[in-house]
Amino acid sequence: MTDSSKIVRDYDLFLGCVGPNRFPQIEAATMLVFEKLGINLHDMNGASCCPAPGVFRSFDIPTWLALAARNISISEQDQRDVAVICNGCFGTLLEANNIMKTEPGKRDATNKTLAKVNREFKGTAKVRHIIDILYNDIGVPAIADMVTNPLRGIKVGVHYGCHLLKPTGIRPWGKDERPKFFDELVEATGADSVEYKDKYMCCGAGGGVRTAVKDISLDFTREKLQNMKDAGVDCLVDCCPFCHLQFDLGQVEIKQIFNVEFNIPVIYYTQLLGLAWGLNPYDLGLLPTADKPAGTPPYVPTQPFMNKVLANMSESPVTEVETA
Amino acid sequence: MSEEIQKASEPTAVNITGLEEPKVGVYLCHCGVNIAGVISMDELEAYTKTIPGVVKVTQYKFMCSDTGQNLIKDDIKKGEVNRVIVAACSPRMHEPTFRKCLRSVGMNQFLFEQANIREHNTWVHMRQPEKALEVAKDIVRIAVAKARNLEPLDVMTVKVKPVALVIGAGVAGINVAKDLANQNFQVHLVEKTPTIGGHMAQLDKTFPTMDCSACIITPEMSNIGQHPKINTINYAEVTDISGYVGNFHVTINKKPHYVDQSLCNSCGGCVDVCPVITENEFDEGMKDRKAIYIPFPQAIPNKYTIDMDHCIQCGLCKDVCEPHAINFDDKPKKIELDVGTIVVATGFDPYDPTDYKPYGFGRFENVITGLQMERELSSFGPTTGKPVRPSDNKAPHSIAFIQCVGSRNCQVGMHPYCSRVCCMYAMKQARQYKEKHPESDVTIFYMDIRAFGKGYEEFYEIAAREYGINFIRGRASEIYENPENKNIVIRAEDTLLKRPVELEFEMVVLSVGLEPRKDMQTISRMVGVAQTGDGFLMEAHPKLRPVDTLSDGVFIAGAVQGPKDIPDAVAQAKGAASAAASLMARGEVEIEPYFSKINEAMCSKCLSCIDLCPYGAISFDKYEDVVRINEVLCKGCGTCAAACPCGAISQNHFREKQIFAMLDTAIPVTANGKI
Repeated sequence: MTDSSKIVRDYDLFLGCVGPNRFPQIEAATMLVFEKLGINLHDMNGASCCPAPGVFRSFDIPTWLALAARNISISEQDQRDVAVICNGCFGTLLEANNIMKTEPGKRDATNKTLAKVNREFKGTAKVRHIIDILYNDIGVPAIADMVTNPLRGIKVGVHYGCHLLKPTGIRPWGKDERPKFFDELVEATGADSVEYKDKYMCCGAGGGVRTAVKDISLDFTREKLQNMKDAGVDCLVDCCPFCHLQFDLGQVEIKQIFNVEFNIPVIYYTQLLGLAWGLNPYDLGLLPTADKPAGTPPYVPTQPFMNKVLANMSESPVTEVETA
Repeated sequence: MSEEIQKASEPTAVNITGLEEPKVGVYLCHCGVNIAGVISMDELEAYTKTIPGVVKVTQYKFMCSDTGQNLIKDDIKKGEVNRVIVAACSPRMHEPTFRKCLRSVGMNQFLFEQANIREHNTWVHMRQPEKALEVAKDIVRIAVAKARNLEPLDVMTVKVKPVALVIGAGVAGINVAKDLANQNFQVHLVEKTPTIGGHMAQLDKTFPTMDCSACIITPEMSNIGQHPKINTINYAEVTDISGYVGNFHVTINKKPHYVDQSLCNSCGGCVDVCPVITENEFDEGMKDRKAIYIPFPQAIPNKYTIDMDHCIQCGLCKDVCEPHAINFDDKPKKIELDVGTIVVATGFDPYDPTDYKPYGFGRFENVITGLQMERELSSFGPTTGKPVRPSDNKAPHSIAFIQCVGSRNCQVGMHPYCSRVCCMYAMKQARQYKEKHPESDVTIFYMDIRAFGKGYEEFYEIAAREYGINFIRGRASEIYENPENKNIVIRAEDTLLKRPVELEFEMVVLSVGLEPRKDMQTISRMVGVAQTGDGFLMEAHPKLRPVDTLSDGVFIAGAVQGPKDIPDAVAQAKGAASAAASLMARGEVEIEPYFSKINEAMCSKCLSCIDLCPYGAISFDKYEDVVRINEVLCKGCGTCAAACPCGAISQNHFREKQIFAMLDTAIPVTANGKI
């Protein structure tokens, strides 16, 4: 069991771009789950785009590094570590933080740029993905202990996403190229993480591919969704808003381009966890409210997934149900 | 005047006691462009002339050459200098050269000091020449401070026992033992496993000649077993080495066989009745063996051993054993030996690809390693030389070899170096399989084919041209199993055709590289030889002393020094044998007099130095009430000298006054006394 005294109680929440702009329910679900854990996620004043690792870094590393270091310097000022909800933000901020801490030449040059906006990178903050906090600090047993509505019989296709894992050198999960930590977190909710072909493949969106060549990027997505469908998943669980966008809105676009329909509900991990912990599915953004405007997420209806969850719960009644 | 020069050029005329007023000669070496290409030698010369005590400064292109050395000799003979500094490369390289130069004209060799302005300066600061010049000035000035305080020392000699210890009885160890024994030296050959032969005994054929590995190694093994000068200690491990060059004391733990080796007649009756089946290490887990076993039929010594980790002591073997050789009460034995030289030939471990998840070893049945394929190809292997795939025991119609598994990969847990044998063994295995199944489809995924040895490139040519083996240049990115037929699908980029490929094979062989043995760190500490960055043992000099180590009297041979094929391992073995023999044949060896000395009058007999000494060189004589330092055991680490609370211990060549003189000149003190 995790030593609860070692758990950091306050983080700066770095939202990034896609999360707040396209999927506010991801932020909402994350806030609710962390509230239940007794961990405070604070807003970051003046945070910008991370900036995106594929797009910005590919064109100009010093600019990418300066913007990322600026974001981290906000948390340094707040004297807190940065928690991120997006794999892309994780990749950028983790790697930029590492470069700034280990390469004095680049740090000095970047700090000269930052001085123009009266900022300085000091190297006092850590960058944590919420999955990292949940897995390495809270731990799977503690998460499983808090489950009140086990999601029995639900088959989940887990999508890790590239920047969560690579490059392996400085990630908090070690060198493993076929890791199991996310599957363990999903299975802590009582659901089954099913094996499917090319589980560790890209969603298709990253590296600017979605923006530059949308149909090629959607062909990746189609292949992954097909592999998941073959494995008979009830839903897809991810931990990155950009992957989330690609899978969710992507299914609408795939239908237009390839004329294939998958109807696989796309769920962010904290939404799934909140559901298992007995939080209100409306608050978690899992069910659309009556006044949900057209053209807003989720694009793929989550109702079939929710129906199955409810059906399984009534089939195998849980003894210690806690009312939310 | 001319008469004087004539007189001074006589070598015997030089008589420097070290008590004269120091006259320091500084010789600045250009080292071609290595030093002179970075800093201005003229400026360094001008500066050096201003250092107090320096009487002569000379610069030359290569001080280590004959002409360069003669410059020093002439100055000594003329009586112009009585302390010599060469500012050049690292003393590890040429200190012995210049000491010999001093000796040749009758000057004490310890009145020499080398200032390293290459490795410590121009190589690392080559892009900042001006600052490098300042550093060079500092280094030379500090060396002068030491040189002015140098004292002549006498070299000691110790006897070398004409007995050698060889650790590891693979192809390298066997050849070392054979060569030394044939020169009439007594050899103790220690092997960890129950049989000698090492990895070579596991191989079927050897590249590029395709001759049978067993036909080469087994007669050698047999000769070793019968050689009167070789004492083979199998199933044993060296646990401790103490002493010094010429006089090592070695402790060996001989593991219990639980079968009396002198009584066992190798009838094999015990194997038939043994009910315990376990994995056979010799066959890389491809075949089972009983708990009582001989690793393979041609093992030397050909006697049975019980694997107590798996034995259930049912006693069935004891009942059937006619010579009554089974002894469940067998105990480990401690063997102690005194030897003059040690040759380490402990070899390598094959890389274990289980951790490299994208290749699925351990998860997919039909993915095997190169060494497993070798056992399958062997006539006395698990499939008697007819390879099959593990999932259905049928001969595969298509095989792919993936190269550089564990090698040439900078990821964590992998090795950046090339393992040097995998290209050749994969092509060899591919050819062997093609010979047995010409209709089969054999593909090799490679990054570069490194066919560097004699006859290797020709071997590659024939593999591609005559055998029709497919070569795809590209590292396999990942592989997965087709769940229907357990076939293996490889994804890679064909970098020559610039296109991704996804191909299905019935079996995949991972050409795993060579890595340092798991217990390398223990071996390294025990023999006192450092490891290089790749984990293998470090040779004294990569080019000139490839079999020597910085630990006098300890030599290395074979893959313990780095990945190598059989010809290279044998060549190095012969080199190591020759190096060890030259020490033992001479019968004595010179020891550098860097030992610590104790001033009895100042010693308070607190005895703190005794516990600190890592070499056990300090002892307390209760009867005479004095602390003594054994000059031969002392390696001159200086721990005692630094720790002695009374300042009673000083170390030759690193005396307090020498070190403090260097410190005083290294850190300039300002007028107000501040640093």
